[in-house]
Amino acid sequence: MLKQALPERAWTAIAIAIVAALALVPLLPGAVDSYAFSFLFFVFLYAIMAQGWNLVAGFGGQISLGNHAFFGLGAYTTAILWTGNYLWGSLYDSHPDIYYFDPVTMALGGLVAAVAAVIIGLPLLSKLRGDYFALGTLGFGEIVKVMFINGGDFTGGAFGVVAPAGTFDTLLPHYLVGLGLMAGVAVAIRLLMRSRYGLALIAVRDDEMAASANGIDVLKVKVSAFAGSAFIAGVAGSLYTYYIFHVGPDSVFDLDWMLLPLMMTVVGGTGTLIGPILGALVMYAVFDLAKIVVPDYHPVISGLTIILAMLFLPKGLMRSFGGRVRAA
Amino acid sequence: MTLNIPPPDILLQLSLNGALGGAMYGVAAVGLSLIFGTMRLIFLAQGAMIILAAYFVRALFYGLGIDPFLSLLIVVPVGLGVGWLVYQGLFRRAAAEEDRNISLLIAVGLMFLIQNLMTVVWGGNTAAVVTSYTASGIEILGVRTSFTRSMGFLIALAGTGLVVLFLRSTLVGKAVRAASEDMEAATLMGISPHRVNAIAFAIGISLAGAAGVAVATTFPFNPFAGFIFSLKALVALALGGIGNVAGALAGGIILGLIEAYVQYFISGGWTNAIAYGVFLAVLMFKPEGLFSRPYKKA
Repeated sequence: MLKQALPERAWTAIAIAIVAALALVPLLPGAVDSYAFSFLFFVFLYAIMAQGWNLVAGFGGQISLGNHAFFGLGAYTTAILWTGNYLWGSLYDSHPDIYYFDPVTMALGGLVAAVAAVIIGLPLLSKLRGDYFALGTLGFGEIVKVMFINGGDFTGGAFGVVAPAGTFDTLLPHYLVGLGLMAGVAVAIRLLMRSRYGLALIAVRDDEMAASANGIDVLKVKVSAFAGSAFIAGVAGSLYTYYIFHVGPDSVFDLDWMLLPLMMTVVGGTGTLIGPILGALVMYAVFDLAKIVVPDYHPVISGLTIILAMLFLPKGLMRSFGGRVRAA
Repeated sequence: MTLNIPPPDILLQLSLNGALGGAMYGVAAVGLSLIFGTMRLIFLAQGAMIILAAYFVRALFYGLGIDPFLSLLIVVPVGLGVGWLVYQGLFRRAAAEEDRNISLLIAVGLMFLIQNLMTVVWGGNTAAVVTSYTASGIEILGVRTSFTRSMGFLIALAGTGLVVLFLRSTLVGKAVRAASEDMEAATLMGISPHRVNAIAFAIGISLAGAAGVAVATTFPFNPFAGFIFSLKALVALALGGIGNVAGALAGGIILGLIEAYVQYFISGGWTNAIAYGVFLAVLMFKPEGLFSRPYKKA
């Protein structure tokens, strides 16, 4: 319906216009200090996480229940590199802000998560299918959390690591980097899903045996999608470190960092490009509104919303209202 | 690190406590196993259901003066009814969908809902049921242990025994087993998927009720204690072999033993990591569980 009404080029133009408009928001007077500004930052953060989960689960068909572990790994990597000054050596003295939104530090956050995903993904994905993979990744998340609690001085134990919060000025860089990452991840996934690799990933999801019979290295495709998903989650974790500064096992390894993006993706539409973003916007708005309107009951409302959304919109917004949705 | 071999009586004490505690994971795992068997659903709300039952037992005890163990006669039938209703109201539609994320998310939503409703109704603080016999102990094999823990163990044994009996010797039980093995084939034989799913749910939640009695009498609990129970039950489930009901109880007992030994020989902080490590290792190297022979692919 909607999709056929406009040519694809028009949709691309609309998407670019929305991102451009969002990028101009900080220029409005008072915008940076407004509540809406931090609201949007969190929407971007969750949309990135949702997009990451969607890559392995929506497009790849492998339900990961461990993405909070990768988020936490990214967050810890950034905080530890920063406080220990493991990266820039003496440059840190002359440039005290060098770790703040440093692309190398952020990329390393993603990389550590991706390496962990390969290490855990190879054995889990080669032997186990479906439910076992989901259970295994859930167990992995708990193991990583306990390891960080017992990590001694390096990980700060149960308290965690505190990055130098004095570098914080405004939420402006968070907003812009968040927006840029959200748009960048969406573009990257779109390109990826149109490539040979994307076709292989969908083939593996839809029929593993047929994909394998056609010469696709199933394990390689699955593990790389899992690693890509972890990389995205790790970078999101790194971004969160620049917001929260105090990185502790209970905050960054919280199961919510897996459950909420998963829920947002499903509400928006799994296996679609826009679904995770739309789901992040809608669900975060519902939660935030509940937090303001009925502060005592808001988690109750969250639970109810998930159940109602799944009962009445099981296919997600994009698939229910977006007309025929193609793979990407 | 020097490993001191402790005297045999301490070893026996450790094993007994571990096994008794682990039986509670086991009974939760039996419920998960049934639900997973027919619906292929990881019912993450099982732990929240157990804690809800524990609060219910506490309300019966302090409100009406009903002894916690006697309240089994109320909790278990109520659990059957609640399980049936939960399936019919929440999971019936999702069970027909091919996308199993939907059922998983409903379970997650239900978990959030129950946890937070409990917080609203009873507050977030730790609650406990203290009876005249809470502190009393009994002697088993010359080792003193807590009376309530032993009762919890008996409840777990009896619950699992009844479920095994039901699955083995009734026609409905046979239908549930058939559906767990191959839902499609079972449907072709005239078994209604909704009926077996609902039965699995009813039994699963009534077992959560029984586990709730055991938890309420043994441990202090709070509204959010359930999730860790769900995770431990999943570990027990994997150890015992998915779909193996008696194995799930055994898996819980093994998990309890592992936890007790790790706590004694290594440190309490590593208990969970090692429990999940064992879980991952089993998933990787023996995914059919510890008690079944590796099955041959046709």
